[in-house]
Amino acid sequence: MKHGVFAILPLASGAAVYGFAFGLLAAQVGFPWWGISLMSGLVHAGSSQIVAVEQFAGSSAVLGAAFAGAALNLRYIGIVASLSDILSGLSLRMKLVAIHITGDENWALTMAERAKTPRVGAEFLLGSGIVMISVWTVSTTLGAVAGASLPDLDRFGLGFAFTAAFIAMARGMWRGAQNLLPWAVSLAGTLAAVQLGAPKAYAIVAGACLGLVVSGLVRRKERVVA
Amino acid sequence: MTLSHWMLILLLAIAAFSIRVLGLFAGDAIRTSRFAWVLDDVPGLLVVALVASSLAGQSAVTWAAAAVALGVAYVTNHVILTMCVGGLAYAGLASAGPIWAALH
Repeated sequence: MKHGVFAILPLASGAAVYGFAFGLLAAQVGFPWWGISLMSGLVHAGSSQIVAVEQFAGSSAVLGAAFAGAALNLRYIGIVASLSDILSGLSLRMKLVAIHITGDENWALTMAERAKTPRVGAEFLLGSGIVMISVWTVSTTLGAVAGASLPDLDRFGLGFAFTAAFIAMARGMWRGAQNLLPWAVSLAGTLAAVQLGAPKAYAIVAGACLGLVVSGLVRRKERVVA
Repeated sequence: MTLSHWMLILLLAIAAFSIRVLGLFAGDAIRTSRFAWVLDDVPGLLVVALVASSLAGQSAVTWAAAAVALGVAYVTNHVILTMCVGGLAYAGLASAGPIWAALH
C-alpha cells in the first residue's frame, strides 16, 4: 500500500491545483466549505463535480446539472470493469471502497505499474486511491474557504478557466476524424438550444444526444460500406 | 446551503457511485455489447456541448480567449496549463478592452 501512496504524489499535486480552483468556483456560487468537503468525499469525481456545479451556477437546474455531471462519469463503467482482476481477491465491502476511491489518476497509474510489474494490485490501488480522495477533498475545501472571502473572481478569469479546462478535456478525448461530425453537431445543437432560450444544463444534454445520434448513423454507414 | 445545493450533492453522489457499481457487476457485459460505442462517445460529446454552452451568447473576448485555450490544449494536451493560460488570456483581453478604449 505504501508503494501506491508515494507513487501517486506527483499526480496528486496536479489534482490539488485543480481541486483548489474548483473549490474557489463552488464557493462563489454559494456552496459553504463543508458542503464542498461533503461533495468531494461522497462524489469523488473531479470533472463531474466541476460540470455539475458550473451548470448549477448558470441555471440552478438541479436535475440537468446532476445528469450532465453523471453522464461525464460513464467512463467509470469501463474503468471499474478493467479492474476486475485486481479486485478479485477482495471482500465485497473492500471492493465497494476501492471503486469509490478510484479516480482517473490512480487507475491509470495502477494499470501502468501493473503492466511493468504484475504483482502490483489491490494494495497499490487502495494506497494511491486513499491519497487521491484525501488530496481532492482537502484541496477543494481549502479552495472553498479561500473563495468565500474573496470578491467576485469571474472578472479575473476564474469562470473562463473552467471553460478552458473543458476545452483541454475535449482535446484529450479527441480520437481523430471520426469525432468531427458528431462533435460539430453537438456544438451546433447546444449553441442553437441556448439561443432558443433553453436552460444551459438541458441544452447540453440535447446537444450531446444529437451528437450521439449522428455518431450512431456514421458508425452504421461505416459498417454498411465495410 | 439551500435544498437545491443538497439535492445536487446527493444526486451526484448516488449517480457517481451507481455508475461505479454498474462497472463492477456489469462492466464486462456492457463493454462487449453492441452499445459499447455509447460509453466511448458520450464523454467527448458532452464536453464539447459544455464548451458550446459556456460560449453561447458570450462576447468576442470570450471567444478569443477560447481560441487561445484551444491552441494551448492542442499543443500541450495539458488540462492545468490550459486552464492557467486560458484564464490569464481572458483576464488580459477583458482588461485590454477598456484600456484600448481609453487610449483611443
